[in-house]
Amino acid sequence: MNNKKQLVILVGTLLALGIGVTVYKVLFLGFALSPASRESVWTVEAEISFIADGGPVEVSLNQPDNLNDLVVVDIVDRNHGYSYLVKDVDGVRRGIWSRKDAHGPQKIYQRLNVYRLDDFMGREAESDEKAPKVIPLDGAARMLADSLLRKAKEKGMDDLSMARELLRLLNAPENNTKASSLLEMKDDFGGALGLARSLLHHAGVQSRVVRGVFLNESGAKNKIKSYLEVRNEGRWIMLDPLAAEVVDSDVFLLWQVNDESLLEVVGGHDSSISFSSVENSVKSNRVAIESELGKTPLVDFSIYSLPVHAQNAFKLLLLIPLGALVVVVMRNLVGIRTSGTFLPILIALTFLQTSLLVGLGLFVLIVSLGLVLRSYLNRLNLLLVPRISAVLVFVIIIYLGISVVSYKMGSDVGLLVTFFPMIIISWTIERMSVLWEEEGFREVFIQGGGSLLTSSLIYLVISNRWVGHLAYSFPELLLVVLAVILMVGSYTGYRLSELRRFEPLGRE
Amino acid sequence: MRFILPSRLRTKGVVGMNMRNLSFVAENNPRHLYSLVDDKLKTKKLAEEAGIAAPRLLGVVRVHKHVGQLAPFLKGQGGFVVKPAKGSGGKGILVITGRDGDRFVKSSGGVINENDLHRHVANTLSGLFSLGGNPDVAMLEEVVEFADVFDGFTYQGVPDIRIIVYKGYPVMSMARLSTAASDGKANLHQGAVGVGIDIGSGNALLAVQHSLPVQEHPDTGRKLSDLSIPGWLECLRLASRCYEMTGLGYLGVDLVLDARRGPLLLELNARPGLAIQMANGQGLLPRLALVNSLEKPHDSAEDRVEYSLGHFARV
Repeated sequence: MNNKKQLVILVGTLLALGIGVTVYKVLFLGFALSPASRESVWTVEAEISFIADGGPVEVSLNQPDNLNDLVVVDIVDRNHGYSYLVKDVDGVRRGIWSRKDAHGPQKIYQRLNVYRLDDFMGREAESDEKAPKVIPLDGAARMLADSLLRKAKEKGMDDLSMARELLRLLNAPENNTKASSLLEMKDDFGGALGLARSLLHHAGVQSRVVRGVFLNESGAKNKIKSYLEVRNEGRWIMLDPLAAEVVDSDVFLLWQVNDESLLEVVGGHDSSISFSSVENSVKSNRVAIESELGKTPLVDFSIYSLPVHAQNAFKLLLLIPLGALVVVVMRNLVGIRTSGTFLPILIALTFLQTSLLVGLGLFVLIVSLGLVLRSYLNRLNLLLVPRISAVLVFVIIIYLGISVVSYKMGSDVGLLVTFFPMIIISWTIERMSVLWEEEGFREVFIQGGGSLLTSSLIYLVISNRWVGHLAYSFPELLLVVLAVILMVGSYTGYRLSELRRFEPLGRE
Repeated sequence: MRFILPSRLRTKGVVGMNMRNLSFVAENNPRHLYSLVDDKLKTKKLAEEAGIAAPRLLGVVRVHKHVGQLAPFLKGQGGFVVKPAKGSGGKGILVITGRDGDRFVKSSGGVINENDLHRHVANTLSGLFSLGGNPDVAMLEEVVEFADVFDGFTYQGVPDIRIIVYKGYPVMSMARLSTAASDGKANLHQGAVGVGIDIGSGNALLAVQHSLPVQEHPDTGRKLSDLSIPGWLECLRLASRCYEMTGLGYLGVDLVLDARRGPLLLELNARPGLAIQMANGQGLLPRLALVNSLEKPHDSAEDRVEYSLGHFARV
């Protein structure tokens, strides 16, 4: 009885805490309950790592320019031991970190909050913008250039088409002797991109090299990317220099233009920089823009204080308790039998990568093939560990087989099999095979079907935009999930399946 | 699909899986005692110390190098049973009923040679039949000579009696009869017939197969209501004493009837199933609640059985 009281108090506290904090965040901190009412706000994090030589260190990083409609509203720097200041050097803004003494591997983080000023209109070039410097062509290069540009102009009417044709020619030097001769001289122009700019300049087209990151690129540790921009009818158009295609620069955060240096480290070596970004679902106008972050302890000690790549990981992790909740409800309230308690959660996470129907199909295919191969092992009477290891090898062979066959038939769908966790799949096949032997196919069908039904439900829950938004913006709702799990854990009533099972008891 | 209202089930006093796990198994069965019943060798040792009758243990094979000495050891022993100590669901049980020269005759009539026997025992030691594939030991037991009361009531396989013992009081029981559908196994969910046995008299109450009432054994055609367990009082006393023996408050006791020795303890179960309610056409809860309400539980098995006879008999 005492235990029962304890549980009631605990559940009550958890519910009050979880719901209370959520309500507070909505009413007073301006967090949005619905995913629709958010504005696009990105948090971008640059991670600089290098190895300090053991003396004074100075690191300077080019700061992103507000050149397009993406505006950097807030720069957060929290690096203990480093002093930070922003300097204008020759009209270029640079953030500089310095420290008197540093040893060994160092990491410096800089976080920016970026938001979109307006709907994307394209990047307008200002009329008084001074033309970026180019290295002029001369002598032999000039003659080669003239004939190459003539060829490029045959196809392209306007500046943009001409520029794309020129890039195509330079990308396929084996088809054009002039292009290949020019490329041999590329070092005089600071690389192939520099050469392209000089050629464009010669043809009267303004161009520049831009480097930056795509904000919508998920995943941690993205590298900075380089593109060529061509001025066309008063706008800067971004071109992928290799594919010679126009790139949508909608969410491209410009970090560096032309030959400004990106990162300079004095007093260290092996430096590198990577970027990660996360789309925030807080109301942009209240929290992110005014930089409420950090002023409220509730927010300061929350998921938003973590490095951005960790935030990305938590976006997924926070959904897993919901999967567990679905499993708890299905098993203890509905009475569905599943093979392996948490297998359905792992399968549902896989469905996130493969989509539901494809995932279901692949799962059934893998497990059926696995069971067929496994049934042969039955006759050999193997010990457990070698047997499960053999099943693991089968699973890898099945993955490979499905991928190759599907790819040869012209479909990429089969390649998605690699998202299935193979150790778990091997165990599932092993357990189902034993079950088949002991209890018959019917039980395998019931448990397999139960697992897939539960997985599908979990998938529907965690792929829901609302659920994802709530879980990430209000991690305190985890306490509510925990409270519900605890409540189910002390439920002694009937399961739905038992109302069916014990039905004959009601007949007279 | 037909369903029953939860309120109807509650008035019938039916115990569901959640309630069994929380209110009875978790409340009354301390975790550390589970190994006493999950390891059949431990159960057998306990039974021997407590003077509870069980099939006689001929020997135990613990290590692989002893496998080769099986044949000389079993010389002169006509029939015997090889059992994995931690086997589950009857897996790995080999029943030898006689000899054919150097070879062994199985209960199903099949014949195996010495090598087959060695391989079976070696597999048992390696954990082929045990839960989770853990290494195991092989028990050698004498063969039970089944009392002829079950003649015509089973199809192949072993008939056994399951008694639920709550805090030492036998509260409900049934006989489990194998059928062709259950492949000679006495598992109800595999299609064996469950016959509810009246605690008061040892006579059949009603019978179910796949949860539905049956009148006759589906393979032999024998009328199930004729089943009556001889020496019923002794069965109940044996079951009741298993409470002191193990300390488990919610226990499933499985018995077999030997023609000469009477009831023998086959195995114990710390999480007995709920199908027994179907075979009795009654819920367990009123009986369990009655035992819970006892202010002064009886100390001796005899007194507890006396109480059960008086309170759980069907008129």
